[in-house]
Amino acid sequence: MITKMSHTSLFVLNQDKAYDFYVNKLGFKVNTDVVMGDTACEDGSEEQPPAGGFRWLTLNTPEQPDLEIILMPVVGLEPDAQAAIRLLLEKGLMGAGVFYTPDCYATYEELKAKGVEFKSAPKEQFYGIECIMSDGCGNWFSMTQPKEH
Amino acid sequence: MQLPEDIYQRIVAAKLFMDEHYHESIDLGEISGQAFLSRFHFHRLFTRIYRSTPHRYLTRRRMDKARDLLAQEGLSVSEICTSVGFESIGSFSTLFKKETGIGPQHYRNLRIVQQQQAKAQPRTFIPHCFIEGYKLNRQ
Repeated sequence: MITKMSHTSLFVLNQDKAYDFYVNKLGFKVNTDVVMGDTACEDGSEEQPPAGGFRWLTLNTPEQPDLEIILMPVVGLEPDAQAAIRLLLEKGLMGAGVFYTPDCYATYEELKAKGVEFKSAPKEQFYGIECIMSDGCGNWFSMTQPKEH
Repeated sequence: MQLPEDIYQRIVAAKLFMDEHYHESIDLGEISGQAFLSRFHFHRLFTRIYRSTPHRYLTRRRMDKARDLLAQEGLSVSEICTSVGFESIGSFSTLFKKETGIGPQHYRNLRIVQQQQAKAQPRTFIPHCFIEGYKLNRQ
């Protein structure tokens, strides 16, 4: 039985820029921010990671501490797969999910004041009030205030 | 019912004022003044929009910041208490324990141990499927 999601990954073109967007603008919390490879292999395996390392950066939305959103750089895949993902990110075509807000109009005004780019302003839909924003790193999200029943 | 756009902008301005000045001794009159609304009107609209009273929102903001600071080494618990805007270490500790389930010092110890472990043994925090799938060992 699966009961919930604990991790989900989001490809980003630039982790520092993504950090600024999700933490400083949206107010997400850093769960884990650690570099793999700046320490010796701790599990005893022979494979040594190179200097510099890979940054494992995960965030939580403020009221969902048990779901880690991984800000994943485009690495480790076949070159053509990486190029395909980068192309989609560069065109801003990765639709990554829906964020909940208690008031779409107010959050839209707040994020607009913080410089967040929106693809559409709040609009009434069958399921609530929704606007579409871009993270500036290749992904777009719906921000939705669900209809109260 | 949707409110006029300028009302949202004024309420948001007051919220951002709280986000910026949470560590100061600010009261409802000062906060509602940012929105150019009476205290009563502001309180009603803020609570409707954010599902939280301004006082509760401000307290939550202070607690969030306290948690961030407790996760870092440097300031003592009592210094953190005052630096985020609480006036009494007793009420801060009580509220912290009520919300987090453990006291501030205990929380700090756990977070610091967790961070040390993450730094020393990052693989204990990264699902193996990601290490394999993205060849993270070879990055």
